[in-house]
Amino acid sequence: MLLVGRQTQRTCQTLSRRSFLQVGASSVLGLSLADLLRAGQPSGRNPGSAKSVILLWLWGGPSQLDTFDPKPNAPLEYRGPFGTVPTRIPGVRFTELFPKLAGASDKLALIRTLVTPSNDHGIAGTVGLTGSPAGGTGLDGKPLPGAPRPATGAVVAKGLASGGVHPRRADHPDLPPFLVVGGKLHQGHKAIVGEGGGPLGAMYDPFRLEYDPVHGTKVPALQLPPELTPERLTDRQTLMHALARAEQRLADAQRANALDDYRARAFAMLTSPSAREMFDLSREPAKVTDEYGRTRFGQSCLLARRLVEAGVPYVQVNWSDHVEAEEDAGDGGWDHHYRNFQIMQDRHAPWLDQAMTALVTDLDRRGLLASTLVLAVGEFGREPKVNDKAGREHWPHCYCALLAGGGVKGGRVIGTSDARAAKPADTPLTPGDLCATVHHAVGLTSEHLTGMGLTPAGRVIEELF
Amino acid sequence: MKLIIVFSVPLCLCGSILAGDPVRITTDQSFKQHLQWSPDGKRLLMTRIHQGKMALWTMNADGSDLKRLLPGHDQPHFDGHWSPDGSRVVYVHDKFEGTDGKLSIRTCAADGSDEKVLVPHKAFEESPRWSPDGKLVLWVSTRDGNPELYTVTADGKDLKRLTTEVAADLHPAWSPDGRKIAFSSGRTGRQKIFVMTADGTGAKKLTDGEYLDSWPAWSPDGKRIAFVSNRSGNYDVWLVNADGSGLVNLTDHPAQDTAPAWSPDGKKLAFVSTRDGGSDVYVLDVK
Repeated sequence: MLLVGRQTQRTCQTLSRRSFLQVGASSVLGLSLADLLRAGQPSGRNPGSAKSVILLWLWGGPSQLDTFDPKPNAPLEYRGPFGTVPTRIPGVRFTELFPKLAGASDKLALIRTLVTPSNDHGIAGTVGLTGSPAGGTGLDGKPLPGAPRPATGAVVAKGLASGGVHPRRADHPDLPPFLVVGGKLHQGHKAIVGEGGGPLGAMYDPFRLEYDPVHGTKVPALQLPPELTPERLTDRQTLMHALARAEQRLADAQRANALDDYRARAFAMLTSPSAREMFDLSREPAKVTDEYGRTRFGQSCLLARRLVEAGVPYVQVNWSDHVEAEEDAGDGGWDHHYRNFQIMQDRHAPWLDQAMTALVTDLDRRGLLASTLVLAVGEFGREPKVNDKAGREHWPHCYCALLAGGGVKGGRVIGTSDARAAKPADTPLTPGDLCATVHHAVGLTSEHLTGMGLTPAGRVIEELF
Repeated sequence: MKLIIVFSVPLCLCGSILAGDPVRITTDQSFKQHLQWSPDGKRLLMTRIHQGKMALWTMNADGSDLKRLLPGHDQPHFDGHWSPDGSRVVYVHDKFEGTDGKLSIRTCAADGSDEKVLVPHKAFEESPRWSPDGKLVLWVSTRDGNPELYTVTADGKDLKRLTTEVAADLHPAWSPDGRKIAFSSGRTGRQKIFVMTADGTGAKKLTDGEYLDSWPAWSPDGKRIAFVSNRSGNYDVWLVNADGSGLVNLTDHPAQDTAPAWSPDGKKLAFVSTRDGGSDVYVLDVK
């Protein structure tokens, strides 16, 4: 089932698509499409292997010890209760909560020595998404100096829109190049800086889709007028009034925001039957749907695969909107100050293990893994010493990322942490390095970044390729 | 020939225990755990995450009449357990404070009224279980640093610590006669099922192997223990005799099967499974 705004698409098929657009949608909806449609000939970018990127954003900060850098020889109060299982990488073990990913580790590259400058979700989140703390806002509400950099996805979107190294696929050429599956990221009630286009402009903000297990895919930017409930859709007079008002709002928006034909085409595309089909996960065979797991995250990963398959260059899947584990319909974030081990065992680990394994395997089966970079990472790790609430506190000094595809060679580990996964023993790497590596993977060079008014956020992690 | 013998033993055991395929009794697919049958066998109690709220829900044993136990609560509450006479429920209450939570053990009447704090928040407080005679509540707390098992009387007095291990002791379950407690513990390296006497002495490991074993549930006749294990590569419900013999995979499905709960007559076992995609409750006839 596909939900457009709060109403099912099935209910809306007889209505004018334009009528459903709200003014608020215009600032986020596929505006980078304009660049895509204006795109000229190839500009000579260095080609990377990746034509698409899927970022699995593990919001809240997963524990490195309870996932992919277990320390079975550390004292019990550090290593936690979980055992380990072998992977396909000689000498490398994951915790026993990730048997599927362990079995797929020949396709995975693991970084065990990420370091980030802040233990505040707000700031570390900005660093993780943009490669820089500039403009990040922590719990104290004070923005750090500097203008926020664009999200990695926005840079990739603009980069691919401006050149032809990876020509967009013909089946859905008008899709926005940067999509986020999931709600806006928050710390408490405050949205995180760094999910958008930043200095590249609002036109490179992501277009957002949401999936929930009850309603299916939602397109929150395409809200129906609030008074247009399914019951009232049968009231023709109410319907006509609502549509007239929506038409007027759209006309106003076009004038106010100078929406051009390209953007109008983006609106049209996103409400087109072919786009609806792409967003509609019920079209997947049940076997494939089950492989991902019918959790919100699992189905969001499946939606990401469908988007990549259709040629979308950058898809970010947010594990949750909030960092707390109990928010967001219970499948909230990885911020496990308490109950870490129970939540890991019961929910988060099996869900991630299933969904990411399915995603990587499915992409590989379809011949898409070589051209799709998958990156799973949070904003920081968790403190090695278990606290007195069966949880772990924030830990920015050492954490993990998993990568697959897009030219990254599987079956390898980059960096070694110390005996308690507290600090890198070698090869410290930063979120900025990850951003630079993503840019590299899709063929963006420092020259391209300079052309966007940006500087590289870090060094390319060449060891991955 | 040797391989045939090795693999045929558990299959034969399983075939003698099961009677038919599991029957799915919920179809809403929302996340569920912590199942427990009411003492009269008419209803099931569970933790369910629905519309952004983790809460206690009850339903008839056929899956009908699904409803919140405490509909007025907006804070998470979970892992409930019916008192032996079915008149009250003990559960975990979680009060959000910032990005942290304050856990406490509370009780309420079976209709959700008359809420009381049994164990005020001090640390991680989880998995409360009423003793078969209704006089004690057993639960897990980190009040002394790491997860250990404790008891208090049903009126919240006379707190006693039962275990003193560096490793986490979790998921306690009383034997039907109240003389023993099954629990999971990592005290020997991997999280395994243990059984000890109700005063905390004489702990013995019941399961072995390089796997994660958890959530033991004692059969009403005291002869068998169901538990969750990933020894097949994913979570399944396994069954073992109370002396550690006769290990068998009861559910044996590539999906995640968790939260085993025996019916009071011991003829059925309810569990949560993702075998049809979502998280739903299934009931299996057990011989």
